[in-house]
Amino acid sequence: MSPTDSAVTTVALRKHYGRRPALRGIDLDIPRGSVFGVIGPNGAGKTTTMRILLDLLRPSGGEVRVLGETPRTGGPALRRRIGYLPGELTLQGRVTGRSLLAHYAEISGGVRAGRIPELAERLGLDLDVHVRKLSKGNKQKLGIVQAFQHEPELLVLDEPTSGLDPLVQAEFLRMVGEARENGQTVFLSSHVLSEIQQAADRVAVLRDGEIVSVSDVETLRRRAARRVSVALRGADPARVTAALGAVGGLQDLHVDDGDPVRATATLAGEMQPLLSALTGFHVADLIAGEPDLEESVLGLYRAEAVQGGAR
Amino acid sequence: MILPLTRRALADSWRSLLVWALGVAGAVSLYVPLYPSIGGNADMQALLDSLPPELIKTLNYEDIATGAGYVQSTFYGLLGFVLLVIMAAAWGTGAVAGDEEAGSLELTLAHGVGRVQLVLERALAILVKLLVITLVAGGLVLAYDAPAGLGLEVGDVAAMSASWLGLGVLCATAALALGALTGRRVWALTAGAGVAVVGYVLNALANQNADLDDLHAVSPYYWMVGASPLAEGWDGRGLALLWGISAALVAVAALALARRDLKS
Repeated sequence: MSPTDSAVTTVALRKHYGRRPALRGIDLDIPRGSVFGVIGPNGAGKTTTMRILLDLLRPSGGEVRVLGETPRTGGPALRRRIGYLPGELTLQGRVTGRSLLAHYAEISGGVRAGRIPELAERLGLDLDVHVRKLSKGNKQKLGIVQAFQHEPELLVLDEPTSGLDPLVQAEFLRMVGEARENGQTVFLSSHVLSEIQQAADRVAVLRDGEIVSVSDVETLRRRAARRVSVALRGADPARVTAALGAVGGLQDLHVDDGDPVRATATLAGEMQPLLSALTGFHVADLIAGEPDLEESVLGLYRAEAVQGGAR
Repeated sequence: MILPLTRRALADSWRSLLVWALGVAGAVSLYVPLYPSIGGNADMQALLDSLPPELIKTLNYEDIATGAGYVQSTFYGLLGFVLLVIMAAAWGTGAVAGDEEAGSLELTLAHGVGRVQLVLERALAILVKLLVITLVAGGLVLAYDAPAGLGLEVGDVAAMSASWLGLGVLCATAALALGALTGRRVWALTAGAGVAVVGYVLNALANQNADLDDLHAVSPYYWMVGASPLAEGWDGRGLALLWGISAALVAVAALALARRDLKS
């Protein structure tokens, strides 16, 4: 793939803080016009990777190219083509959101007239409130606006949905979709798969400074484990244990005595085998959680290790 | 528009600048109008003569009987000096290290600004603010000149102001440079205030004893008031040291910040 087709490429990208490695050789290739997600637990290296793209951190080794340039030499001109939302957004000062956004518009340029009020309106952000008086969620909205306002070629968004209520999250995901239709590239991170699965074309799973897998969202979802909990009225705990124990992909099963009998477990893969096993029971309640990333990443990690060992 | 970061820094801090200007104006007004009843007063002189000479030398009160000596000793060299050092060190710290530790520098640098540009523009904003403070102090001193019978020359007040501002700029740039080198507020603040405190102590020691006179040469405090600019006019050597080292520290700050990782 030629460099012009990629918004971001990294080859064997490494970063260590003192002697502590943060990135242990990351290979990424993010095609232009795509939405690329990176997920992983805290400390996996998501933020470090993003900060290197913005030249806030300098790599210890390997190569990185952003929009065809290296961040170090691209300088301010390159950063004007990028919109960035930090993972830990700090906004302070006795200025209104409007004034702060005007400042960023001045230094990064290219903001259409009417663009800022339009974005603020969509997210439900009051631009006339002083920044330090904004709630965490409203600060996050302001951060999203400053990243999107100059319609940059590349958006780098670190945990963009944190602190947003579900309606605003949905609006944000629509904005990401529009950016893609617009030909912009979006690189976003989350520690919760559910937050980015609707938006992302492909997802890299990062763990401990290494990429565990890169796949499309559907594949990842199929492999992800979720917490399930069922309450079965008038059931015999031993029968429940036997029936559920036979379900493929079900692990960590706990069955509590009582009426109803409550059984909890993690389930990887499809729901159907579990539902089939529950036929014949009186199901009082069934709770299925969103696929838990921590567990699914660990699951992937174990799976890779097992495959590696079997080879 | 030019200098977006300088204008932003000034717009963000005009309230605190106003408070500091009022404080400095208060300090000038507290001492300077009292010259007829303290510095120029024979009883007061007798009292000062009765104090241990070491104390007088430490406080730089030797020339308190003249208008120029009085204003330099009480305001520019003492209370005004303390206020100047506090605000200069605080502003120099806030420009990089404070902003960085708070986490807000990251977003600014992710936009279309360079790190050298950021250091230079913020240093300029500090210079503008310190200049405002200096002009407020100098203007008020001149306003009190005739009523209090100080007998000052306008040119000498300008010379004193340039030296006083130079010391403030040195403290601010020392804080800026250490902040840019380390990214830590505590180091920046220590450097900014330390330059002034160490300078004051070295000067006081050198005043005590002719054997220690060489210490004057390395005291920024002495560079400011050692040649008594309020009485004697422009002190080229002191000004060159204060402003030259400040310029070098700004260069150090710009290069240091450009080379390192941003702390998170």
